[in-house]
Amino acid sequence: MTMRVISLNVNGTDHSVQVGPLDRLIDVLRDQLGFKSVKEGCSTGDCGICAVMVDGKLVNSCLMLASQCDGRRVLTLEGLVNDLSMKRLQGSFIANNAAQCGFCTPAMLMASWDLARHKADPSEDEIKVAISGILCRCTGYYQIIDSVREGCKRGTT
Amino acid sequence: MELYSPPDLGGALRFIEHEDKHVTVIASGTDLIPRIRKRQVAPSILLDISSFKEDLRYIRQSGGVTRLGALTTVADLQESPVLDGRLSIVREAAELFGAPQIRNVATVGGNICSASSSEDLIPVFMVLGAQLKLLSAKGARTVPLTDFLVGKRETSMSPSEILAEISFEPPAGHSWTAYEKMGRRNMLIIALVNEALSLTMEDDLLTIHSARLALNRVTGKIPAMAVRTSEFLNGRKATDETIAEAQKVLAAELALTGDFRASASYRTELAQAYLKRLIQRCHRKIEGSS
Ligand SMILES: Cc1cc2nc3c(=O)[nH]c(=O)nc-3n(C[C@H](O)[C@H](O)[C@H](O)COP(=O)(O)OP(=O)(O)OC[C@H]3O[C@@H](n4cnc5c(N)ncnc54)[C@H](O)[C@@H]3O)c2cc1C
Repeated sequence: MTMRVISLNVNGTDHSVQVGPLDRLIDVLRDQLGFKSVKEGCSTGDCGICAVMVDGKLVNSCLMLASQCDGRRVLTLEGLVNDLSMKRLQGSFIANNAAQCGFCTPAMLMASWDLARHKADPSEDEIKVAISGILCRCTGYYQIIDSVREGCKRGTT
Repeated sequence: MELYSPPDLGGALRFIEHEDKHVTVIASGTDLIPRIRKRQVAPSILLDISSFKEDLRYIRQSGGVTRLGALTTVADLQESPVLDGRLSIVREAAELFGAPQIRNVATVGGNICSASSSEDLIPVFMVLGAQLKLLSAKGARTVPLTDFLVGKRETSMSPSEILAEISFEPPAGHSWTAYEKMGRRNMLIIALVNEALSLTMEDDLLTIHSARLALNRVTGKIPAMAVRTSEFLNGRKATDETIAEAQKVLAAELALTGDFRASASYRTELAQAYLKRLIQRCHRKIEGSS
């Protein structure tokens, strides 16, 4: 097994990390770089809880080899704590009780943030599609859907 | 296990020519990575082609032919303005595929090469009569998609080849295409039944000139054309009686198996119901646009 060094820009900072052939993006983000908002759920792409942005697209970090991310830009929730749109979504998630156990919340926020970039006033169906790849085992989704609808609106808190 | 990431497509082709059988291609890895982790496959060398976007990620149209590079993502299909009209079936299938995070990376080439009944795009490309371009260090060859799948997870591709391009033409004349997929929920689901139809009518708009029907399973566990049902429809009037008879022909043609997702008889009934819906959807659209 040959290790290689890849460069990865995470939340605006460049990192050089040594990876094995089967190391995935999630392994590097959590274990080497300490971005613990990225959760590991099913490890097969079905629960979506490991979702992050890579080069501006929402992806599951458990389904990507770290080597395939060499030279790419990754964004996790940690990189968005000062982002206005993310702050609005977070506030709305809190106000609407959209987090119970909280395990899916970072991924739900990433998917909602991605939606908010494109739509200021998404329909219920658009919200459902946007979060369709992320499993929430607690809420029954409606608190999340309400939060996303409210949080996407610009100009509110 | 080793991972090899050659700088360009030429390098990749020379590498597999040289290494031969031990190499497994990886595109976006949505199919392969979980299978490796579940120890269903144990490749000794992975060849990463995901960075060859300039060579293999495109949607082009010329002379009536649409060409998709193998690294075209499902999200690319969804967003493509050229996949409209008689080709909107491709977008329809893309919209029902996985979830956003999967569509953003999953490739068309990976879908076809996975060669299983859970691959949604295969029946769609089959009814469009798709041709596949395979590349090796020695050159290129073209094979029809219907000849490409030989068994579950088995294709007629040699170990020194890479799938480079999928090409197809919309059906000519008074024609339309349509797609139906049923899973146990709306999103992120492996299809119980996945069915695609390309229908062409005679000038009278009542007689079926030709039908091409494909499903995710017909007799084996891989997508295939429902040849007998398609032939049965050819030359018949698109009436309720014809549809009812065609549904019987389809039930006789299908040899489905049940599993934990659904029984064989439920799948067969679904396939029959979809046949009716697909014929009616296509027929209505053809009447409306002629
Ligand atoms: C959560 C989840 C949901 C999914 N939902 C769907 C769905 O709704 N519908 C559906 O159809 N599929 C679905 N899939 C399966 C998978 O995402 C698709 O089949 C996808 O198109 C595979 O593309 P890939 O680039 O990820 O392939 P990879 O995993 O990279 O490769 C798949 C196979 O094809 C081979 N291969 C890939 N590209 C080439 C090439 N150019 N030349 C030669 N061989 C090649 C590889 O060696 C491998 O055997 C889902 C998967 C997951 C994890």
